[in-house]
Amino acid sequence: MIDNIADEAFAADLLRGHTDTIVLGVLRRHDSYGFEIYKSIREATGGAYEIKEATLYASYRRLVRDGLAEAYWGDESQGGRRKYYRITDAGRAAFRTNVATWVATRGIIDDLLGTTVPASTKGNRA
Amino acid sequence: MNATDPIRRSTDVHRLLDDAFAGVELTPEVQDLKEEIRDNLLSRVAELEASGIESSDAARRAMNELGDVRALVDDDATTPMPVRVESASAAALRNRVRPNPGFVVRTVLLSIVAAAALVVLVLALLGVLSLGTGMLTAIAAVFGVALGIVTADALRQETTANHPLPAGRAVAFGVSTGLLLAGLAFTATVILRLDLAWLILSGLLVVAAIAALSYLGATQTNRHKPWVVVEQRATTVANRFDEDPAAAARFGIYTAAIWTVAFVVAVVLGFTVGWWWAPVALVAGFVAMLVTLARMLFGADARRT
Repeated sequence: MIDNIADEAFAADLLRGHTDTIVLGVLRRHDSYGFEIYKSIREATGGAYEIKEATLYASYRRLVRDGLAEAYWGDESQGGRRKYYRITDAGRAAFRTNVATWVATRGIIDDLLGTTVPASTKGNRA
Repeated sequence: MNATDPIRRSTDVHRLLDDAFAGVELTPEVQDLKEEIRDNLLSRVAELEASGIESSDAARRAMNELGDVRALVDDDATTPMPVRVESASAAALRNRVRPNPGFVVRTVLLSIVAAAALVVLVLALLGVLSLGTGMLTAIAAVFGVALGIVTADALRQETTANHPLPAGRAVAFGVSTGLLLAGLAFTATVILRLDLAWLILSGLLVVAAIAALSYLGATQTNRHKPWVVVEQRATTVANRFDEDPAAAARFGIYTAAIWTVAFVVAVVLGFTVGWWWAPVALVAGFVAMLVTLARMLFGADARRT
């Protein structure tokens, strides 16, 4: 698995390390359900990288456990109910903190690697 | 997007999901996770199907993409959620199903239509009303269609205990039931009004409907709500069909056999003893089916046979 990741244009494990924050980022816009969140992430990466759904389920449960998100079942009448997630105030605060941490860390790494160019933050292969 | 998805008809996802969770203790949390995964899988399969992938391939691919369900469940078991204070009954209350007035009105009106059709049919067959044979056939069809719709509609309603059936399955149940009832009504018309050769057609209708119902029954998956499962486990004896899907499949086959025999016996009785005796075979078939069901579900020696 690690070998496959090494071929990617970006570090998948680095991305995966931020799964919770990424999910919170999606939920910050609107309440969402599992597959919709999965699609948002897939589309944001241009379809090049998909976080495994099992990883996402683990993330949802972590977020709910930590009080950063709430889960509720929608009452759709079609084909069974759908489980939605809603970001909590604590979740919004955690998102802001995590983003600030990321920006600061990114700055340090950019400085250390001598890659302090705004465009480099997009993750494209240089 | 999820209402009209053709994949809601597919049982592949339900089967694969049941396989993935086979042997996992179904705690309320696990049931909850399973239902959540089910909905997301159906959405993914619909997306794959829309891109032109064949239904069962799409189901398998979506399941593979999901990753390791068991690891997820194990992980969950080792790091338990903080005490979840909500009881099963509280969950049931929170997720209670709102009454659907439209459904009630539809059911009542269609039942009245079906009852009226049946009364007219019986009166005409007894000679009280004089109606043409074509008219009687049409009335038999109305009777079947009305009750078929009632059946499908009912199965699409979420209840306090069960999630609604996927649209495709509900429609299949409705069509089979409608076909069966229309077929039986038509059989009565044939016996009293038409050339008996028409019995072949009515027989085919009835047997096809029974076969379809048996198939649907045997391939039914368990979709009880998590909190209901918890309460049931505490209060009732285990349902054999839930624990042993093979028994459910066997019951489906027995049912098809019983009804086929009953129908053949009905025809034989009709030709030999007289047509008034033919329904006796169908009643006997029904009783045999119920006895089989009772024995298979709750029989003391069911597990030893």
